[in-house]
Parts: sequence; structure tokens; C-alpha cells
Amino acid sequence: MKFFFIIFSSLLLVYMLWPGPSKISDFKPLPLSDKSNLEGDTTQIPNVSAYFSNNFRESVVPFYFSNYQNLSHLPFPPLQINHPPEYSWIAIKKHTDSTYLEELVYPLRDSIYVNGFEPFYSSGSPKFWGATVFVVKDKSWFTKTTLRFYPSNLVIKFFVWLGISLSILFMYHLGRKIIFSND
Amino acid sequence: MIKLTFFLNKFLFWLTTFIFAFIPLYPKFPLINIKGTFVAIRIEDLLITAAIFLWLIYLILSNTWKDFIKDKLTQAIFLFFFIGLVSTFSAIFLTHTVTPHLSFLHFLRRVEFILLLPLVVTIVKKKKELIIILIVLSLTILAVNLYALGQQYLSLPVISTTNSEFSKGLILRLNPGARVNSTFAGHYDLAVFLAMTITILTAVFFALKKRFRLIVIILGGLSLFVLIMTAARQSFLATVIGVALVLIFSNKKKYIFLFVVATVVILLYPSQLRDRFISTITVNVFNLGQRYTGKTQDQQIRSKLNIPTLAVKTSSQSASTSAFASPSGAIATDITPGEPIDTTQLGVYRSFEIRLNIEWPRAIAAFIKNPILGTGYSSIDIATDNDLLRSLGEVGLLGTGALILIFIEVGKRIFRVFNSKNKLMRLFSVGVFSMMIAFLINGLFIDVLEASKVASLFWLMLGLGLATLKLSSSKER
Repeated sequence: MKFFFIIFSSLLLVYMLWPGPSKISDFKPLPLSDKSNLEGDTTQIPNVSAYFSNNFRESVVPFYFSNYQNLSHLPFPPLQINHPPEYSWIAIKKHTDSTYLEELVYPLRDSIYVNGFEPFYSSGSPKFWGATVFVVKDKSWFTKTTLRFYPSNLVIKFFVWLGISLSILFMYHLGRKIIFSND
Repeated sequence: MIKLTFFLNKFLFWLTTFIFAFIPLYPKFPLINIKGTFVAIRIEDLLITAAIFLWLIYLILSNTWKDFIKDKLTQAIFLFFFIGLVSTFSAIFLTHTVTPHLSFLHFLRRVEFILLLPLVVTIVKKKKELIIILIVLSLTILAVNLYALGQQYLSLPVISTTNSEFSKGLILRLNPGARVNSTFAGHYDLAVFLAMTITILTAVFFALKKRFRLIVIILGGLSLFVLIMTAARQSFLATVIGVALVLIFSNKKKYIFLFVVATVVILLYPSQLRDRFISTITVNVFNLGQRYTGKTQDQQIRSKLNIPTLAVKTSSQSASTSAFASPSGAIATDITPGEPIDTTQLGVYRSFEIRLNIEWPRAIAAFIKNPILGTGYSSIDIATDNDLLRSLGEVGLLGTGALILIFIEVGKRIFRVFNSKNKLMRLFSVGVFSMMIAFLINGLFIDVLEASKVASLFWLMLGLGLATLKLSSSKER
């Protein structure tokens, strides 16, 4: 059991400390898009960037899914979590318009939120009352994609790893005493 | 020093006895409001903190702290706290899923509730003390029930924490059709308390001499009546299971038939509880019942894209047709297409749908994001309505594992008293064990371990149950 614990714990440490993206600018811009310079999409909030484009959810999420995996240099893809759109006010920033919000995450490392605001279906018909296209520098776009990256710090990750390893160790010893002994 | 320890022990006993009564009886008036949440610090939090602080001093002065730390249960409790701290640290600095002060306060809430268990175990040392606490609890149960009846029939004040406005400590009155909450600020909390109460009273009933049994029958009957008034289906079911377990473990199998008949009669007798059970089968199981289709195309479109942060149609032309309100009042004003028209069915439908589509997926997402440690206390909003999912989401596999270890150890210890020769000890421990199971069953649909009043009482009662182990073994030696 000691052997398995050492292997697990070492692999966990390597996984957690493995180099990956450290800022939002490490991620590629969306293809055929216009980067937003609006307030809130640039420097006001750390690690946020936004793109106007005609890319819909079906292509945006897979694009960042593979981009994130490439940047993380890990042999397995990130986990994909679908959040309710209104959670964008917490995960991205307040008053972020949203029709979908997905999170790509490597547990115990870092994560990137991909928020999309799509007032139209890809066929061009409006999704709701008041739907309008985005007009930027005389060009009009159907969608706005906002990204927010939550990086992690090496020292923090080391302490979390230490906490996890100690917890597993304590739980194993205590669990044996509680479950198997009758005193 | 011995004299000081003796007086400290006595003082702590009476303080704990007072806490047993104060927690259920004192309404949820806020004392200190916390930024970012409508959960407030209340007087009982300060009272419990003071008791725990004095108890720690007592452990040091009486030199019992070494035995306390060596105890497996203590170690399991401290492991749970340690993992809670690691999870909070990870949530603040790694996953960024919590507001630091809220997460830390939520962590402290768990510490506050759970430490009541070892406190009671240490302090209650004599059978006489157990009996005093049971008498105080009986009077408390009587007061809680009478106050609930007063709310229903005499329009006594209601303090509620069911929304942010009410939780400021507003004095309210029950509306027609509203459910009583007594001093518990929420009818679900009251129902959980009554489920605990009825389970223990059933066990104690068999331990008492015949002349005292009438008191238990009155208390139990009153509690059952108020439980039906709360119309809480889950707590009713938990009560049925709790009482059945008491009858099985105490070897009173001949009462089971009577108990089944009584349960059927209660379920057949016209009440809100019965209507809600019928609606559960109609709406949740068979997906039947007349549904609202929407008055306009706009309503139907919006119901398919129900995102609260998007713009709402507010043009003067559409204002009259977009509102879901029914002028006659026969249909709920906030009904949306696809929901049942009948108000009872609507309540039951929403009660389940909010769990299925919002609260549980949110907890599962948190668990997926960090399976080992969860995303930290307070990260998945104020309610999940399932304690297992909440625990997995907030503190992950490690925290949930530690919590399960605590329950296993507590269960094993209480189970040992089942063979005690002392009738009161034996049956009381049967009651506490069955109460624990009933409480955890309630936890499948309600956040019982986080609801401050019932959670505190739960750990206090478990502590009392474990104290019987000590009393029983010292008597039999």
C-alpha cells in the first residue's frame, strides 16, 4: 500500500507542477475574429479577452479545448463543464451577456472559461426579442466570445499537494482503525 | 485545581443544558450581518463558541485532553477539519471558487456544530444528568409544538429565513395555506426537528414506566400533528423509517402492524401532506397534470431560452401580453410554460425541478472540477438540498470520506449500547441510532447538516447518545 501511495503521490505532484499556460495571451485568438477593446475585455480584469466573430459554440469550444491541451502538454484533454449562462457574472465579470458558458479544466491546476453570447442561431434567425448583431469598425458580427483564464501558482499547488498527501495518509491509517477494529 | 475543574464541569453541564433548549426556542434573529450573504451570526453562535472555549479550558485543567486526542472519533473529527482547511485553501488560492471570508466562516460553522458532540460526551457523566437533559428537551419540544399551533391558529409571529428580505429578522404572520415553522425559521427545518423528536420519543416511550408514558404519547402525538401541518414529505418519510427502525432494534415487532395502519391512515386523511404526496406521484413520477402553455409566442420563446441575465421584452405593446400573471389569481403569477397549473402540483414540481436542474448539477460540476478536495465551502451557493452531493462538491472525496468515518465510528459506538442491561440506556441509544439514520435520509433532499438549528441539535443528540455508552459501561462495571 505504501508503494501505491508513493507512486500516486509522486504522479500527482508531477501532474500539478507540470508547466502549462500562465496567462490569457498564451491562448490563440479566435480565427477570423476581431479582438474586443471594450472596457472590461482588456486590462481591467486580469486574464480576460474577448473576440467578435461569426464562430458559433460548435466550433469555439473545440478550438479552445485543443488549444488548452496543446498548451498544457498533457497526454489527456481537459475536463469540460457546462455551466448555466448566468454564472458568467461570477466566472467572467458582472453584466457579461451570455447564451452559453463552458469551463475547460485540469483539476488541481488551472481552468479557462469560454463564454459565448449568440443572439442569433447559425441560420441567422434571432434567438430572443431584441437580438442585434455586433458592429465593430463598420463590420458586423454574429457572436461575441469572452475568455477568462484562472492560472495557478507553483507554491500554492505544492501546498495543496502536501495537504492532499497528508490527508490521504491520515485517512488510510484512521480508516483502518475505525472500520476494522472493534475496540 | 480539582475544585475549579469540578465547578467548571458543573457550569458546562448547565450551559449545555441551556443550549439544548435555547437553540430550538430562540427565533433566528440576526446579530451580526455578513457581507455577501444573508446568513448572519446569531446569539446562539456566540453561546456555542463560549461553551466550546470553556470546554477546551476544562479539558486542559482536568488533564483529560491527552485521552481526548488519542480517541479515534476525535481524530476523525480533526481529520475532517484538516481536510476542510486544505479544501478552503485550495478554493481560495487555486480554484478561485469562493469569497475567502465566506468560505472560512462556512468552515467555522462546521467546526462549531461538530464540536458539540465531544463537548456533550465529556460533560454528561451521570444518568441523572442525562435525565435532566431529557426533561428539558421534552419541555422544549412541547414549547416548539405549542408555538407552531399558535402560529396557525392565533396568528403568532413568524420569523423566517427563506429569503434575503425575511432573514433580516422581519416579524411576519402566516398567510392562508402557508406552512408553520414555529421557531425554526423554515418549515423544512421544523419538520426535520420533529422527525428527530418523534424517533427518539418512540424509543424513550418503551423505556418509561407506564405512568410516564402518557406524557410521551401527548408529546409524540402533538409532534406528529405539527409534522403533518408542515407537509414536509421527506421528513415524514424519514420519521416513518426512523420509527420503524426503533421498533425493529428494540424488538417491539408486535407494534409494527399498528404503526403501518397509523401511517396509512395519516396518508389517507385529507391534508396538505397527502395532497403533496399525490402530486409527487402525479407530476414527478407519471409526468401528468394540466400544464400551462403560455399566452403568447413571446412567452413560449422565452421559456425555451430561460436566461435571467438577458433583456426582457418591455415594449408597451407587449407588456400586457408578456406578463405571466393571471388576473383571476387562479394561476400562479410567476408560472411559465410547461409548468403545472394546479398550485400544489406547481409547488411539488418546482421543488423537484430546482434540485434536478440547478442545485444537484451545480454540486456535480463542482465535484468534477476538483474531485479530491471539491471547490470549497460556500462555493456552490447556499443550498444543494442533498448533503452527499453538497459534501462531494464542497470538500470532495477526501472531506466526504472523513465525514463518513465520523458517522461509522459514532454508529459503531452507539450500536454497542444496544446490548446494555440498563433499559433506559439501551432504548435511548436505539432512539439516537435510528434518529441518525432518519436524519441522514432527510439529508438526501435537504441540507440538514448545514441548517444551523437542526445540525447543532443533531450533533448534541449524537453526543448524548455517546454519553450513554460511557454511563452504561460505568454502571455495568
